[in-house]
Formats: sequence, structure tokens, C-alpha cells
Amino acid sequence: MPTIAIVILVLFSAVLAGVMVVRPAITVSRAGKILAFGVLFFLPLFSLVAGMENEMQRSESTAFCLSCHIMEPYGKSLHIDDPAYLAGAHYQNHRVPADEACYTCHTDYAMFGTFKAKLGGLRHLYIYYLGKPPLPENIKLYNPFNNRECLHCHLGARSFEQGATHNADPSTLPAIKANTLSCVSSGCHDVVHNVGHWGDKVKFWDVGS
Amino acid sequence: MRSGDSMNRRLRISGILVIIGLLVEALCLVWSKPIAFVVLVCLGGALIGVGVLLFLYSLVSASAHPANASGVAQDKR
Repeated sequence: MPTIAIVILVLFSAVLAGVMVVRPAITVSRAGKILAFGVLFFLPLFSLVAGMENEMQRSESTAFCLSCHIMEPYGKSLHIDDPAYLAGAHYQNHRVPADEACYTCHTDYAMFGTFKAKLGGLRHLYIYYLGKPPLPENIKLYNPFNNRECLHCHLGARSFEQGATHNADPSTLPAIKANTLSCVSSGCHDVVHNVGHWGDKVKFWDVGS
Repeated sequence: MRSGDSMNRRLRISGILVIIGLLVEALCLVWSKPIAFVVLVCLGGALIGVGVLLFLYSLVSASAHPANASGVAQDKR
């Protein structure tokens, strides 16, 4: 349901609840009792669930993640005009959905992955408002990036399975699949966001061009 | 009569809590900041929850008081 529809529903529910406040005596009749049940029980709970669902959906959007200014450099890294930058290359070539770029790579593709991501988001919120947030360049992942997140899309893809570098050593591909050799390890796809290490030479992709 | 009045009062309070909760929710929906979700759940959800519970309590307490029946009857008149 689009946000505007939920807002209209919420305001409509509030107006009906207002009728109950002004004229509670209408609950004397049978129809009034049914109306009161709808207005003070069903509609508020339905509106709340719809609103929460909408917020949950919105929390998966790239714009949502980048609305914290601490994340701005990470958002900027998605526009770096250099294919060596893994995050930017994925974002610009739509290897991940552009409107859910952060969520697509930084959510575990495992049971409760989404739930864990939401809990992580609450933790970020706590640190942001009540703790001491680190500088953007000092932000680290809680756990090393799991190849499972990459293989969710790349496993079975020709470019991955038959890539020259991946097959140069027969032990490389099985090690990647077993997560014993990280995709983002040094010498492989180790340039991801690299916030704080861009230097002066880095150029940015102009979306409009 | 007194019982009917107290039920009306509970309905009013319940309605006011629900309205405030819904308004908080509407604000959070148009406020696109990460904290909006927490405000929606903790403040909006709590207000709506308490309002709904108070409404349910008013129903239960009204049916538990036989005197309320006369109160309703007086209201009807």
C-alpha cells in the first residue's frame, strides 16, 4: 500500500475516533457499538500494522540508509566512476537493485537475516542518537563479509564459474564457495567503498550524463 | 447513570489516546528519518495500544456492572 494511502487511512481513522470523543453516547445503539468497535479497535490496529509494514519496507531503501549523514560518504562511493570500486560498479550497473543497494549486500541471506538486519539498524540508531558514532572512515563491519551474500547472485553465473582468475588455481573456486577465501580479500575485490582513502584522483559518475 | 458516565469518560479518553497515536503515526509516515520508525512503534504504538486496551476495558467493565444497563437505558431516554 502506498504511503499516501496509509496516511489517508490513518487520518480517516483519527477523524472517526474524533466522532467517538465528541459523541460517546452514540454507542448506546447497536450500530453505535459496532461503529465504536471498528473505530476504536479495528481501524487503529489495522492502521498501526499498515504503518509499521510501510516503515519496514522503507527501511530497506537506499535513501533510508543514506538519510543518516554519517552514511553520506558511503552513498557517494556508489557514484565513483571506477569499475574497481565494487559497491559503485554493482550500483551503477544494477547488479543490485539501485533503490535497495545497501540492504541487498548488507543483509544475511540466511534464516532471520532480515530480522538481524533490523536489529542491527536499531543498534545503529542507538549509537547515532545516544552513543558516540564513529567517523565514517572508521566504520567497520561487525563480522567479516560472508561470501554467501555474493554467491546468492553470482553462484552459477558464467562470469563467476568460468572466470579466468577464479580458475587460475583449482583450489580457488572451492575455497570461495566454502567461504574460506573471502571475495573481498586483499588482491581480489578488496576495493569496496574505501571511504577515507579516495584521494584526489577519484571521479564521480554523473547520473544525468 | 454514574456507570454510564464513567463508560463515556473511558470512551472519550480511549478516543483521545487513539487520535494522538494516529496523528503521531501520520507524522512518522511523512517524516523520512530513521528515528521515525522508533517513534511510530514506541510512542504511536503505545498510545494506540493503551487507547484500544482502555476501550476494551470499558466494554468489559460496562458488561460487568449490571447498573450500567440502567445507565444505558437512561441514556436512551
